[in-house]
Amino acid sequence: MKIAIIKRAITLVMTLIIATYITVVVANLGGLIDEIIKGQIWEDLVTRLARSPEFSMLTPEEQDRILKQRFEAAIKARGLDQPFIVRTFIYLKDALTLNLGRALFMTSSAGSRSVRAIILERLPQTLLLFTTGTITSCFLGLILGLWIARSPGTLKDKFISMFAIVTQTLPAWFIGIIFILLFAYYLRLTPFGGMVSVPPPSDPFNYALDVLRHLALPLFTWTFTYFGYWAYLTRNMVIQISEEDYILTAKAKGLPESLIIRRHVLRPALPPIITQMAIAIIFSLQGAIITEQVFNWPGLGRILLTAIMTYDAPVVIGVVVIFAYLLVITVFILDILYAILDPRIKIGG
Amino acid sequence: MSTRPLTPKEILKEILRTKSGLIGVIILVLMVVLSIFAVIYTPYDIVNAWNDPVFWQSNPRLAAPEWINIIAGINLPKTIILGHNNFYKSEYYVQIAGLKYVNLRGTFKFQYDYFPSELSLFLKVNYSNKSPLVKVTFVRPDGNMVTLYEGIVESHNSVIYISTDPKIRKRIRTFLEKFTKGEEAYMIYPEIILFAKPDRDMWDADKARVLKGTYELRIEMVGYNPTDTLEAKLIVYGRVYGLVGTDDLRRDLLVGIAWGAPITLAFGLIAAVLISVIQVLLGIISAWFGGIIDEAIQRLSDILLVLPFLPIVILISFIYGVDIWRLLLIVVVLSIVGSTTKVARSIALQVKSEQYVEAAISYGASGWRIIFLYIFPRLLPYTIANIVMVTPSMIFLEAALALIGLIDPRNPTWGRIIADAYDGGAAVHGYWWWILIPASLIILVASAFAMIGYSLDKIVNPRLRER
Repeated sequence: MKIAIIKRAITLVMTLIIATYITVVVANLGGLIDEIIKGQIWEDLVTRLARSPEFSMLTPEEQDRILKQRFEAAIKARGLDQPFIVRTFIYLKDALTLNLGRALFMTSSAGSRSVRAIILERLPQTLLLFTTGTITSCFLGLILGLWIARSPGTLKDKFISMFAIVTQTLPAWFIGIIFILLFAYYLRLTPFGGMVSVPPPSDPFNYALDVLRHLALPLFTWTFTYFGYWAYLTRNMVIQISEEDYILTAKAKGLPESLIIRRHVLRPALPPIITQMAIAIIFSLQGAIITEQVFNWPGLGRILLTAIMTYDAPVVIGVVVIFAYLLVITVFILDILYAILDPRIKIGG
Repeated sequence: MSTRPLTPKEILKEILRTKSGLIGVIILVLMVVLSIFAVIYTPYDIVNAWNDPVFWQSNPRLAAPEWINIIAGINLPKTIILGHNNFYKSEYYVQIAGLKYVNLRGTFKFQYDYFPSELSLFLKVNYSNKSPLVKVTFVRPDGNMVTLYEGIVESHNSVIYISTDPKIRKRIRTFLEKFTKGEEAYMIYPEIILFAKPDRDMWDADKARVLKGTYELRIEMVGYNPTDTLEAKLIVYGRVYGLVGTDDLRRDLLVGIAWGAPITLAFGLIAAVLISVIQVLLGIISAWFGGIIDEAIQRLSDILLVLPFLPIVILISFIYGVDIWRLLLIVVVLSIVGSTTKVARSIALQVKSEQYVEAAISYGASGWRIIFLYIFPRLLPYTIANIVMVTPSMIFLEAALALIGLIDPRNPTWGRIIADAYDGGAAVHGYWWWILIPASLIILVASAFAMIGYSLDKIVNPRLRER
């Protein structure tokens, strides 16, 4: 088993490395970003030197020489003199060691250029909305799923199943737009979007209350969109296992219903559901680009979108790498837990 | 699972046997009929027309659907167009003075409970050397007259925007002062004041009441040439329009929705079919060949799981400025393997060890022949179920990219319309038709696919049969 775990760890690390490398190349637009930066450095140099009176007194050849010299120096200082391929590996190493570096253009609202600061600044908002929402919908779905699985084929089962099937095809942002119209415009129950009022309340209690007021609609939307999926998943899993022969045997033995459910149904049914939920919670850390856009919520998705739109490669790489690490670690831990809990499962098989 | 694979005909039969499958198929057939209808009955260059503001200029802006009058029991105005045939025209030339007089008089009844949304006058002036003088007078049922315009018209085709022209607003403010007795109006809305009962509240959009009756527009022109002439068109824009209403660019949303149906459905279906078939085939290949190929495909799907799909699609579309067909390519490449591959692989592993496959191997059938003719048909129900589940998500993907402004905006798709609605502040200002009608259509189609998927679920997982 030890060998299996090590093998699994190696494949996961390889996955992480390759995925990060792809991200590095794609986020740098295959080297295009470097050309943009070089162009910018050149522009800066020309405008800066053109302002100096001493420079304009030199001969054109002298000017040219100085410009080239300064340009070379600036390029070298930023490491841009090496070919792109070489630099991708430097970026890869930095990304994998979580040395996220500085953003090209973006700053955190505190004014820092550090990618880590930019990401950390938005993480709490993302957790507050998406992780809370995902956990809520998981629990709600789990409970509902167990409830309807007891009486499959009844009206409530059909209704919830249908609801789940329809909502799992709809994205949260789409439902969000409809809910904004409904709850914010017509019923005036919640604000239209954002995280705090402008200007924000000064004392901390009112501030928290204000954030909660703004959180209500997106949180409700997120939960509403996804709880059906979990309910349906749980229901199917439980029904499938309830039809196994050993359940029949347990029933024939005259074991009480609650014991059968606890010992023979839930024990095998829950691990795969919990696994999926754990992965969903990790996914929620990414935020959601479009949902954040619709609700004007300042989460990681917005950062990522802004970074993409401004060609800010370090930020894009930073967000993706952190997420990749979390996902890979979670998958690894789940694999090990599985192997310990369920002797039938072999890692790596 | 039976050994014999289900044929597509049997799959369809199975779908139609369940109630949810039947409803889903009916909805989809209706949508296909709508698509065909749209392609046949809308003008050929609808995509150009959709992006041409002049094409829609006689429609009201942000008008609700007409049936809202019946449902809500109100009487919102429809658009009234006074074309040049509706004007009574008299013209004469005075030889001695060398002046040409043209008089136009047009009347219309206004019997609605609410004010029009806008007023515009389109003048087509024909003159040879010296531009003529034009005077436009608005006569109300109560006999009050307002001169809206008086001056030289330079352009041969000019539009007088009665609702927004600052000079006209000034004239109307003067007219208003007769009734308000010194009370100052904050804001002048010509379309309200011109149609309001004459009292001190007539400038106030909330308090003013409509003066019903016959209105008249008089246009007098003085030209300098016997051939000088004038044609006019007055549009009193309403607040309701057609079956679906209009957007902020006056476009008839019905046209956008009808035309968007085939594009939306085609994009969703083609993407879903390609993705599902490729993923299933790769799953089978992975199971069949095993070894390095299997390992490579599985690792690739791990990598694609770690890479965030939407940000990468956004990144690539942002750089290359995609239209929806190039988007299709990107999406297919990025979803070349995925969870479907894994499921297909495990089903294929079971099928591989079945007797009929072993028989095929023993008489020397080639690997590809077995994959395509023996194993793939067995995974057909699963593939179809997957297509059905993926299609809505592709429709929404296109909409999501439209929402952040990344798709070629020329083609009207349902997603595009909702994205436009969101950008145009429809949710914030309560232009419900602009959101709810295309949204309900998308939900309808998505649920149709979901219901078909649900009925297929019972074929794919026979153990989930309803009891």
